[in-house]
Amino acid sequence: MLIRSELVSPPIVSLDHVWKRYPNGTQALSDICLRIPGGDFVFLVGPSGAGKSTLVRLLIREERPSQGRVWVDGLEVGRLPRRQLPRLRRQVGLVFQDFKLLPRLSAVENVAFALRVSGESRRTVRARCRAALEAVGLWEARDRYPCELSGGEQQRVAIARALVHGPRLLVADEPTGNLDPATAWEVMQALLAINAAGTTVLMATHNRDIVDLMRRRVVALDRGRVVRDQRAGRYDAAPQVFALRS
Amino acid sequence: MRLLRYSLFVLDAAWQNFWRNAAASVTALLSIGLILVLAGTGLLLGHALAQVLGSYGRQVSVITIGVADGTPLASVADFEAQLRQRPDVASVRFLTKQQELRQFASDPRNQAIVQQLVGNPIPARIQVQVRSLADVARIDALARTWPGVDQSDPTDYQGQLVDNMLRLERWLDLGGLGLLAVLAVVSVVIVMNAIRSAVYHRRREIEIMKLVGGTEWLVRAPFLLEGLLTGLLAAALAQAVLALAYHPFVEHFSSALFFLPLTYDPRFLDTLAVELLTGGAVLGVLGSYVAVRRHVRV
Repeated sequence: MLIRSELVSPPIVSLDHVWKRYPNGTQALSDICLRIPGGDFVFLVGPSGAGKSTLVRLLIREERPSQGRVWVDGLEVGRLPRRQLPRLRRQVGLVFQDFKLLPRLSAVENVAFALRVSGESRRTVRARCRAALEAVGLWEARDRYPCELSGGEQQRVAIARALVHGPRLLVADEPTGNLDPATAWEVMQALLAINAAGTTVLMATHNRDIVDLMRRRVVALDRGRVVRDQRAGRYDAAPQVFALRS
Repeated sequence: MRLLRYSLFVLDAAWQNFWRNAAASVTALLSIGLILVLAGTGLLLGHALAQVLGSYGRQVSVITIGVADGTPLASVADFEAQLRQRPDVASVRFLTKQQELRQFASDPRNQAIVQQLVGNPIPARIQVQVRSLADVARIDALARTWPGVDQSDPTDYQGQLVDNMLRLERWLDLGGLGLLAVLAVVSVVIVMNAIRSAVYHRRREIEIMKLVGGTEWLVRAPFLLEGLLTGLLAAALAQAVLALAYHPFVEHFSSALFFLPLTYDPRFLDTLAVELLTGGAVLGVLGSYVAVRRHVRV
């Protein structure tokens, strides 16, 4: 059974019988089939070692699938030539648990960094940085350095940096993992606003409260397999699971 | 415009790499500078020895062939023409018996002998200048087969000396090349380590550059540029040291080694500068290229 939005939007992410086995023999993913339509908000849940991070790494070609095909926004990621990787990575905004901000750069410089490596003009950099920082409510704090920002603010700067290329897909790997509940909620508000503006969001998380509160699509992984794909789901399987795939 | 912006980004990143990683950069610069001083010293010594060998070489690369009394001038002219046609011969000059006698008599030390001479016992000679020292032996062999050669004193070929000089030249070339190869390998390893350290210091920035869509070229170029900068600065340092030390060195050793005609050749400093800067640039870029290929993957 398909989620209704899959019927109206072409998938922005599509994994077709994807397997990933690491050289040390670890089977990280087994026969993953997943379609995420444009504009969706999807939680990827599961215990540590379930394969969430591997799945994220496949989407940005930090890893290649051992078998199967991965499509992101029309690009077959596994077969993409190396010289095309920058293009893929500009199409996918990435947010990490540890923020990955450069400590010697201010908030706006951190956001601008993503555009400078793309060779954008100064005017474009200024305009897009402003738009991205305003989208996460941090334009006023643009000149502050990461050490002068709270954890939530740092994560919002990271989200602004992920947004600055105008990606159609934003992938967040445990973005609230280092944050207290109130700050985590601030970050979620920012991600919801981005999703409302049309960007697809795929968020790997352990945060049960947020998943349960948001009631969005939940894809649960366990030992490398999709064990649940549920619309308006919860972190744990409810007594009556709405199974989307057989 | 985009290319210009990329270039500015790369220049800025390379400069920041160099200064943010100052300890490793300066260590690499001084180490490579020292190596280039050694290499430059080798080149200067090589040049001095080449001058000495050249001066000896010019002397022994002229072979004089004695002409037997009574040899017809036509035969001498034929032999001269035969010699001139050879590609290994630079010039040929025939000196008659009279010219040889005049030359002998012009030396004051020979006056007593000249007064006792009856007739002209000094043979006519053919002086042959060869292009390369290694050709002297062939001309000597050819001269000895010529019927007009003076059998009692055919040539003044100093086979042993020429062979020794050729051997010495060959060993000096090999030794110089070996020394340069060792120094080059050491320099590349030093640059590699400096760049590896820079990559380690900038690992977070590199990771972010990759994740936000930086191209492989953009991620690697600052390190290549840093290697180039290190190599060029080290070469400039080495050149400065050698330029300052060259003249005093020659003055000191030309008196200590009076038997060797060492001379100060300021023109060679220009050649040395070009060689050191080229060497420094090549070693710097090569070392950083190997390092980024191993340690920076996009």
